[in-house]
Order: sequence, then C-alpha cells, then structure tokens
Amino acid sequence: MKRVLIIGSGDAGVILANHLDTREFDVTIVDKSELHYYQPWFLYVAFKGSRRKIWKPNADLLKPGITFVQDEIREVNLDQKKAYGTRRLIYEYDYVVIATGTSPDPDSIPGLRAIYDEYGDYHSSFKNSHKLWTHIKNFKGGTIAIGQASPTCKCPPSLLEGAFQLEEYLNKKGLKSRSKIKFFTPYPRPYPAEPMNRVVEPLVRGRGIEVIPFFDVDNVDVEHKTINSLEGDSITYDLPIIVPPCKGTRMKIVPEDLQDEDRFIKVDNRRATIKGYSDAYAIGDCNTIPTSKTGVTAHLEAMAVAHQLNGEYGEFNGRINCPFDTAYGKATFVIADFENPTVPYPPTRLKHMMKMSMARIYWMTLKGRADIIFDKYFDWTNPAKLNKKYAPLYPEQQAT
Amino acid sequence: MEATKVIDSRGSACPGPITDLIKAYRNSKVGDILELWATDLGVKADTDAWAKKTGNEILEVREDPDKIVVKIKINKR
Repeated sequence: MKRVLIIGSGDAGVILANHLDTREFDVTIVDKSELHYYQPWFLYVAFKGSRRKIWKPNADLLKPGITFVQDEIREVNLDQKKAYGTRRLIYEYDYVVIATGTSPDPDSIPGLRAIYDEYGDYHSSFKNSHKLWTHIKNFKGGTIAIGQASPTCKCPPSLLEGAFQLEEYLNKKGLKSRSKIKFFTPYPRPYPAEPMNRVVEPLVRGRGIEVIPFFDVDNVDVEHKTINSLEGDSITYDLPIIVPPCKGTRMKIVPEDLQDEDRFIKVDNRRATIKGYSDAYAIGDCNTIPTSKTGVTAHLEAMAVAHQLNGEYGEFNGRINCPFDTAYGKATFVIADFENPTVPYPPTRLKHMMKMSMARIYWMTLKGRADIIFDKYFDWTNPAKLNKKYAPLYPEQQAT
Repeated sequence: MEATKVIDSRGSACPGPITDLIKAYRNSKVGDILELWATDLGVKADTDAWAKKTGNEILEVREDPDKIVVKIKINKR
C-alpha cells in the first residue's frame, strides 16, 4: 500500500483523507492540535458573543482506517521523502500533502503585538474572538477602527462582515449616535473585487461606516492610540480591531526555495503539486494559488488532489464561493473562478439562511456526506451563468 | 527597463491582482521596477489609483494575448 502523509487536519486535510480509498492507501494525518474549529463562526463569537459549540476532536472527523497522530511536524524533506515530528521522530511517505493553513503574525508590524494580546481579533483563534467580544460588550461609545493589517489575510469578505456586525450591534444597543466606525483597508475600495463592491459599497455608506482606502498598516502607536499606514495616513481609535497579517507554514521545507517571502508554498495552480515534485502537494491556505484563502478553495483543492491520487481527473478551477453576511438577516456569496470575474451578487434572506446552515452541514462536508449537494450547488451557481444574469443589474461605474 | 521582480497574479479574481502588488510594495525598495501580470481587467484602474495614492510611477501598461502587464517604478517607500 502507498503511504500518504497529510500534514494538517483543517478542512483541506480532513476532506482529502476522507476521500482517499483506504484499501489502496495507508493514510496518516498529523496535526499539533487535538481540536478542529469551524472558523467562519469566529465572527459571531466576537460580535454576538455566540456560545455555539464550534469544535470537534480531530480523531472523530475521520473515516475508519485513517490514522490520526497529534504531533507537530518540524521539517519535511521532499527529496528524502521524510517528515520529522516532535513526538514521533520520522514519518516516511510515498505521497505528502501539506495542509497547514496560515499562522497569524502580529510581530511583523511594530506595535501590533500589544493590540493582539489585549483586544484579540475575529480571525486568528476562538480564544482571540472571545477576547474581542469582552471588549465589544463593554464598549460605551467612541471611535472603533476596524480592518486588516495587511493584504495577506484569510477570507476577504470577513473584514467587512466584521464592520457590518459591529454596526448592527451598536445600532441595536443604542450606541450608534455616540460611536464612529472607521473601516480601513489596503484596497482602493471597501470590497477588493470591484464587481462585488458595486453591491456592498452602498450598504457601507448607507450605514454610516467611514471607509479609509489604501491603508496598509505600517505601525501602531499604542501610547497615542493611533494606527499609521505605509501610505502616510493615520487613524486615532478608542477601540482597535486589527486582523493581523497571515504567514504561510511554520514548518521547514527542504529544499528551501519552494516558498515565497511570506512562507507560502509555490504550487501548480490547477493540480496543487509543489513545483518540481509529482509526489508532493500543498492545499488550502498554505499555498500560493491566487484565490481567496477560504474554506471552499481548501475543500475544492483537496478534492482535486483526492481525484489525482485515486487515479482520476482532478484539477482545481479557481472556484470561490465565500459566504458574506451583510447583517440584518441578509447575506450574499462571493463567486468567481480562474476564468470568470466575481459576480455582483445581491444579498438576500435565503442566502443568509444558507450561510447559517453551513455551520451544521460543515461537519457532514468533511466526511464527504454532502458531496452530491455541493456538486449540484456549484453547477447551479456557476459564475459564468450568474454573471449573465446579475452583471447587467450592477453596471460598472465610471472611474472619477 | 528590466523588472526587479515579476508578480504573476494571473487568474486572481478575488481579492485580485492589487493584493500581490501591495504585498510586493511592502518588500520593495526605492528604484525597484515591479512587473505585475494579471488577467483581471480591473488591474489597470486599480494600479493607476494605487500609484497616484502612493506616489509611485506606472512606466508601462501592455496587453499581451494572455495577460495584462503593468510595470511600476517604486519612487517612494
């Protein structure tokens, strides 16, 4: 039997493991953590104080016949086909799949570590999301600066989702007249992909959220409560909500020229094979594929690799399908692929229900029990088809 | 002028090629020439607005059969 070593048991790693034929492959999945979290719910932990149980033990998510090892891999040597852990010393493999996700890096921006430790955020962990909620529920008024510290960030819609949740919260608590939300972004507009921005920018403006574009955080001056940008602008805050930059894998990979300057692993965009290797893959947030870093791409890249290893046709087409909660009970999805631009897709109550039900369906998805639903859904919401219908409703605005 | 760094952002629709440009800007120095490759049509307007805001200079915008190439000179860091 061929040995497959999967490093990381986030959704990419688990979906891949559960789609391999265990009669053909000896599958081992290794992760340093015992628990798997449903990360999209961090938003509701941070802004609504949600107490939903959003974690399960890794070992419970795998089909019988797959070995889970709790260990931290320090190094993978792609030429020797070996990985080195901290507990069990050496893992030998025939195929390796790296699915380690991203790691928050608050230390790369001066002053950000202090903010990260004190206020948390709504991206990097369950603990940090809970920390942010304790500050939000005690907030009595003032200026809240909210945004991403750098463009290297997971889940592009989540940044505005945070601002929308915050506005709804302040409005419902009667604090809005005493508060100001300043949304900063390194992009030219509130939502980076222009067609989707046509849909959401009117909501941002209509709710009185101030937008500061082209704001890439250079440093945070904690003493003067000011965030300064590389572009030379400043924001003064009473409450800072700063999503830290993400970096790629912490693991050492040999040879060393397979990662970019932020440690993301260079792969073929469609097959997810690591450049120069046919027996090594990197899937999900840890690779350099030029799409959003999000659960759905991790899922689809895992499926592409599962098909390849099972001897079938398997390519990733760049499909994204990111749920985007626009608050007040509505949501939309950011949909595109390598060939088709983002759809200007309007928010509805039905899409909000779909986003909410994903928290339940997610656990089925990991085991492959929702594959038929997803195949139908992806076909039904093909971006080429949707663009035909929705692009004429949101015409491109002339640049001013 | 020869590019110091080529940024291949082809296929990126969301968040878009401007992401890779901003990332490269952070790691660049004055005098660098960045060459951005993209397939997203929005890249022209976005790099133009970005260059105006940051005080950097667009040297060339070229449409090849398979990509749009934008060459940028870093004047300010």
